[in-house]
Amino acid sequence: MSLDVLFNQFMSGIARGALLFLVASGLSLTFGVLRVLNFAHGSLYMLGAFLSYSIWKHLLIPVVGFYVATIIAALLIAAIGLVIELFLLRRLYSRGWPEQLLATYAVVLIITDAVKWGWGGEFLSIPRPKPFTGAVLLFDFPFPSYNFFIILLGLGLVVFLWWLVYRTRLGDIIRAAAHDREMVSALGIPIPWLFTWIFVLGSLIAGLSGAVSAPYGAIALGMDIDIIIECFAVVLIGGMGSLPGTLLGSFIVGQVYAFGIMIKPELALANIFIVMAVVLIIRPWGIFGKPER
Amino acid sequence: MFLQAENLVKEFGKLRAVAGVSLGVRKGDVHAIIGPNGAGKSTFFNLLTGYHTITEGRVLFKGAEITRLPSYKRCQLGLTRSFQITSIYPKLTVYESVLMALLAHRRMTLNFFASASRFCAEDVWRILEDIGLAEQAHVQGDSLSHGDKKRLELAITLGNEPELLLLDEPTCGMSPEETETTIQLINKLSQEKGLTILFTEHDMGVVFNIARRISVLHQGQLLADGPPEEVRSSAEVQKVYLGGAA
Amino acid sequence: MNMHRAFARRGSKAKWWVLIAIVVLAIAPFILSEFYLSILCEALMMSLLALSFNMLFGYMGQLSFGQAAFYGMGGYTVALLITKLHFNFWLSLLAAVAVAGLLGGIIGFFCVRLRGIYFSILTLAFGQLLFFIVYKWHDFTGGDDGIQGVFPPDYLKSPVIYYFFILLVFLGVVFLLWRLVNSPFGKIMQGMRDNAVRTEFLGINIARYQLIAFVIAAAIAGLAGAVWVPFYRSVAPFYLMWIKSGEPVMASIMGGPATFFGPILGMFIMTFFHAWILGFTHFWPVIMGALILVVIFFLPGGILGFAQGRMTNRRKKGPPSKG
Repeated sequence: MSLDVLFNQFMSGIARGALLFLVASGLSLTFGVLRVLNFAHGSLYMLGAFLSYSIWKHLLIPVVGFYVATIIAALLIAAIGLVIELFLLRRLYSRGWPEQLLATYAVVLIITDAVKWGWGGEFLSIPRPKPFTGAVLLFDFPFPSYNFFIILLGLGLVVFLWWLVYRTRLGDIIRAAAHDREMVSALGIPIPWLFTWIFVLGSLIAGLSGAVSAPYGAIALGMDIDIIIECFAVVLIGGMGSLPGTLLGSFIVGQVYAFGIMIKPELALANIFIVMAVVLIIRPWGIFGKPER
Repeated sequence: MFLQAENLVKEFGKLRAVAGVSLGVRKGDVHAIIGPNGAGKSTFFNLLTGYHTITEGRVLFKGAEITRLPSYKRCQLGLTRSFQITSIYPKLTVYESVLMALLAHRRMTLNFFASASRFCAEDVWRILEDIGLAEQAHVQGDSLSHGDKKRLELAITLGNEPELLLLDEPTCGMSPEETETTIQLINKLSQEKGLTILFTEHDMGVVFNIARRISVLHQGQLLADGPPEEVRSSAEVQKVYLGGAA
Repeated sequence: MNMHRAFARRGSKAKWWVLIAIVVLAIAPFILSEFYLSILCEALMMSLLALSFNMLFGYMGQLSFGQAAFYGMGGYTVALLITKLHFNFWLSLLAAVAVAGLLGGIIGFFCVRLRGIYFSILTLAFGQLLFFIVYKWHDFTGGDDGIQGVFPPDYLKSPVIYYFFILLVFLGVVFLLWRLVNSPFGKIMQGMRDNAVRTEFLGINIARYQLIAFVIAAAIAGLAGAVWVPFYRSVAPFYLMWIKSGEPVMASIMGGPATFFGPILGMFIMTFFHAWILGFTHFWPVIMGALILVVIFFLPGGILGFAQGRMTNRRKKGPPSKG
């Protein structure tokens, strides 16, 4: 087990962690402010991937086609998120978490069939876009340069979210609402619109991550459930509703996955469960989370 | 000492809500904890009952250390509390709620087959009559009036057959008539049943009516601790809490 | 005192419904074709799955999105023991319940450390893990192909006779579950649902009691799957899939999670509806999702919950006045 192999796997883990952060951050953001865990977040991710594929195929624009398709897909998903929030979630804020969870679960069922109806059950794929088509040599091992694109996007999102949450007025409201919803409402800030915008932003991020993931992995049915479970592992390990926690959790899950592939590829996913189990026994509220009492 | 708190400290991040409080409750006493808002009364209660984890210090109950014991174990030892914001069972009837407390205390809950209503009927009715809720035995929790909910809260804690009863603001939100009834009930519980009672209160009338010992908390620290006359005449207490001459 | 009489009256009325249902179920095999008898068998066993789900949801307040995994594991245990080891049928059933219960214990141990939404997603995750293991382990479980040729003993091979076996299991489990929810343990479950903190402060170790309930629910689901598979003669990985786990969820929500019989009603409707729908489309999840939304927004409390609400309102209003 030489150092360069390890480093290569480490970088693979970073790439995967970056992609996970892209997805999980949207989930964490929505949960932190709305206190609703959007089960359908993974479905929006999957739909984003499939939509970007179809748009890319239709556009047939060389080089830029992929990026344009990604942006359009992300915007479409954001629109779907808007519909979900306005027509479903809004009416359920006054009801309990079971109804909210069941409603988003219903959306998962609907979207999973919608994708099956729209695209069939086959695997689809998009080739990596220029200029990231090749590989970079890391210690003599080829490392797909597209992975750097993902890592860059991940970093970009970290910076964007940090700026948004800690440096803007919206961010102040977000943090205040996460702490005390009623107080924020009493200060005259329209909570319903805040919720809508946050949900739309979360959906946008989901759709964007899905589109970005397309050249990285396969586009297939079942992506929705797989990614929501991985996101859940991320927030469980890192701590619920905490953005630094999501970052750390993404890193850990990414690494566990990458090194798991080395040991036994079929069981790579099972390793995540082992880490989750350990966290649940030692510190059920996650590394950066706070205990309920 | 029936219950002994030694140098209890609770920190929430940088906030020291309870800053080293030591006090003891004698068996059979009716002991009040008073103090202005933010003095740390509820937090102190929560430390005693295991609702919050203790940052520093120890708690002993009946001579045994319970500092690290989870709350459900402290209940099993005989330490039961009521909550300031009524914490009852909205969908269960008054009867069922009290029955549940009894079943839990008597460790009869791992019965998967027999009908629950067959057990402890006499004791449930006795408690309901003591509290005055017998007529509403089959009413669902969320259908009760606020005052009745508070009485149900008390009935549930009694169903747990405690040795030490911690009441968090028992007359909070009650009308004068309801308050009077509650005072009489607490007296009865202390005198007839020999229950040790520790309670927090804002209503000074209630406190000086029934408490045999008073502890005063201020900014997380113990300011005074003794019989009512002593506390009443303490200059410090007057300055901080009673606002001048008593 | 009026409340007492009202309760007693309602109880005896329910007894009549139960009696009628049992009679109907008893004569069903002599009226129905083999096709519909098969659907009825499925409805009965899936109803047990729904009841196991609702034991955790309606009675304890926790949503489990992975109950089908225990159903499937029960089925696979029986299938593997009968086809690969030629085990005795009855011992296989027993083993299946034990395996399901054991898995419930292991998975439950981790899940009960969480509450609410987190509990739910963890059950989904573990359910998918079990599905994934069964699906991938081709050599042992047959992978995607599943296991065929699972036959009950000769004296149970006739569909009508097996139907009565299924009916007996169904009635037996329903009876035991009914006793359970009315027992002291059942009351604690409801206490945990209504107010977990209060229950904790009465001396109950919440995690421990939730684990016990979880194991019981898993065992029931496992039994249901174990009894079903020899009737259908085969088992496949999709039995453990998250979509299958959605069926007891939908059935309970639709039938009425706050009632004991709601999940049974919901599952009967669902099973027959599904069989009919399969005639022209395979897009079942979208229908499940749509129905869940319809119930949440337009029929909260499900069918029986709605019916109960109407009866209570009528009772409150009393007989119409003479003017």
